Amino acid sequence: MLPDPLGLIRDAADGAERLGRVLIGQPRIRLAVTGLTRAGKTVFLTSLLANLLAAGRGHRTLPALESAAGGRLRAVRPVPAGIEGLPRFDVSAHLAALAADPPAWPARTEDLSTLALTLELDRAGMLGGLLGRRLLTLELLDYPGEWLLDLPMLGQGYAAWSAAALARLRRGAAAEAVGAFLAFAGALPQEAPAEDSLIRRGHGLYRAALLACRDQLGYRFLQPGRVLNPGPRGETPVFWFFPLPHPVRGDLAALMARRHAAYVEAQRVEFFEPFFRRFDRQAVLVDVLGALHAGPAAFADTAEAIAAIAGALRYGGGWLDRLTGAGVARVAFVATKADHVPARQRDALAALLGHLVAAPQERVGTAGVATSVHTLASIRCTEDAVATLEGRPVAAVRGVLPGGRVAKVYPGEIPLRPPEPGFWEHGFFEMPEFQPPRLDPAGAAGVPHLGLDALLAALIGDVL
Amino acid sequence: MSATPPEGGPRGPRVILEEPAPSTPRLDFGWEQAVVPVAAARPPGRWSGLGRVVAGAALLGLGLAALDAANFVADQFTRGPLQGWATLGVVVGGFGLLAAGAWTELRGLASIRAVDHARAAFARGELEAARAEALRWAGGIAEAAPLQPALREAGSVAELRALLEAGPLRALEARSAALGRAAAVQSFAVTAISPSPGLDVLVFTWRGVRLVRQVAALHGLRPGFAGTWALLRRTLADAAMVAATDVAVDAAARALLSNRLLEQFAGDAAAGAVAARRMLRLAKVAAEACRIVPPD
Repeated sequence: MLPDPLGLIRDAADGAERLGRVLIGQPRIRLAVTGLTRAGKTVFLTSLLANLLAAGRGHRTLPALESAAGGRLRAVRPVPAGIEGLPRFDVSAHLAALAADPPAWPARTEDLSTLALTLELDRAGMLGGLLGRRLLTLELLDYPGEWLLDLPMLGQGYAAWSAAALARLRRGAAAEAVGAFLAFAGALPQEAPAEDSLIRRGHGLYRAALLACRDQLGYRFLQPGRVLNPGPRGETPVFWFFPLPHPVRGDLAALMARRHAAYVEAQRVEFFEPFFRRFDRQAVLVDVLGALHAGPAAFADTAEAIAAIAGALRYGGGWLDRLTGAGVARVAFVATKADHVPARQRDALAALLGHLVAAPQERVGTAGVATSVHTLASIRCTEDAVATLEGRPVAAVRGVLPGGRVAKVYPGEIPLRPPEPGFWEHGFFEMPEFQPPRLDPAGAAGVPHLGLDALLAALIGDVL
Repeated sequence: MSATPPEGGPRGPRVILEEPAPSTPRLDFGWEQAVVPVAAARPPGRWSGLGRVVAGAALLGLGLAALDAANFVADQFTRGPLQGWATLGVVVGGFGLLAAGAWTELRGLASIRAVDHARAAFARGELEAARAEALRWAGGIAEAAPLQPALREAGSVAELRALLEAGPLRALEARSAALGRAAAVQSFAVTAISPSPGLDVLVFTWRGVRLVRQVAALHGLRPGFAGTWALLRRTLADAAMVAATDVAVDAAARALLSNRLLEQFAGDAAAGAVAARRMLRLAKVAAEACRIVPPD
């Protein structure tokens, strides 16, 4: 496929701007936080911002990052609002909700929001004092995780998408809603008419099937994302399409194909082009534990979703990318909610994530991008404990449940690699949601975390 | 590695609920205490040997002088009322001047402490304390006086800070920088023409102290000797950092030029440049030390 000339010009202009900013000591880093739905992006951004702002006030909230900066971090402040058309990520509102009594975890993200921070650093070297301080701008974006799964749709036609979506849906046929949609789609004649009530019914069944896959089966690879999370504008007719077993012939198939193309184009123009075409660093958040506990199908589905997203993102490495200076420098794969396993099992969690993301990691690595694997708890909600099960002491975690009741959780043995089918014999397990720890509503001293500093050091330590 | 749990171990994850308690508090990791560097406990306030010696000498000197003066005044009154009143006038005037000097010093120190209190209030985010300090400070500064109504209405510490930083503090910083530039030009000139390095040091020290006092006066502080010394002490750590850069500048200037004549000239010019740069830096550091709002 020929490259888009306008895109190339924009890339070249962006590369020139980046070079200019580096030369005057004011580099800008766009950190893309990609994560499937419920991976913890909003909490991650809240913790990252609160802890960075606290570190700028002199608190030792991120020791590994400070060490990477050589103790030269002097101040961190939010970039004042300009003329942006997007909502600002409201870190103080999220912190206040987490610190309130009773506390509230952030709700499902419904819309885009951004925030940029300025990190003020002393220059390194003996002559650094002559040139004044460096200003590093860190740009962050929060968005509904469901929308990210539309990224692989950009390179697919309606027929290919239909076949892939139906194949994925059949794995969840056990769910009643999925079965209902599959029965409806299977019963449609090859040349079905483009009748409005038929389409509305099909769309309703398809959405119910996707919701069942997400909420009952723990699947993540569900498309189109806006059907699950339409965003602030609500639903529009362009969302009313669904996969067909015979996607080529008939009026219905033609209308579905037109809507599919329009939807993909809208997502490309409104979401991916402005925010995911150019970024410098990427954190890929994965709820490995959630996928592991949801069963073999959900586990495989998560791996497939991450690989599909990595396959659709641009990491640079091509000659055009080198010419225009586009490309990603570092990618970190992160297993979130690491406080749900005791300390001695966190290495196993990282190893398991390493296996889960082996394919995307290899693909990213071949583009010359440095990659790393981390475990992270954006907000640490538990402490390590010992529980007695079947007369044996086992390492567990202890936290406070929403009702105020204390619970110990034994998360099972975390396998070092994708487990064999026998692993899931014990049935599904849903990790309880713990209350966040006591927090300062103003976030003056940051937020307790596990591994956030090491992650940030790996992602942006080289530019500090 | 197999996914099978250790032999005989529990299979699969579990939730073990503890006995219900009336009200379980949320977990507290003591994060605020852990991340905020805890100030080292102050050593017990015992006087050192040298301190006692100095205090004793001061007590003897001042006390005996006062007693001696009193006796002398009494003696003078026995000689005649005129001598007595004249002597009393001289003694009261002399001790009065001493007390006034000490009072000025104490006030100078107290004004610097007030800056510390204001900064602490801003850093802790205590709105009312920060507002009171800001209003008190603004009352004494011509640039800040018109801002008082806005300071009274400010709804948050961030607002207070923004009002001060955008208005008077920015103006004061500009004027401090101008003072620094004037001092830098003078230091550069003196260093370039002075015959001996010893004189350089003397001129630099005098000009530096004067600069710090000028900047402090600009910020509404009237530091006496003790206050100036307290301000200078705050700049010492920073000055040590500047010194490392100075060595590098000097070395680079000498390394780049191999001609002896040029080397001589460049060496002097580099020394002058270093002195000038120190003055600029000193002005900046002194202005930072006098700001009632802590740096971000």
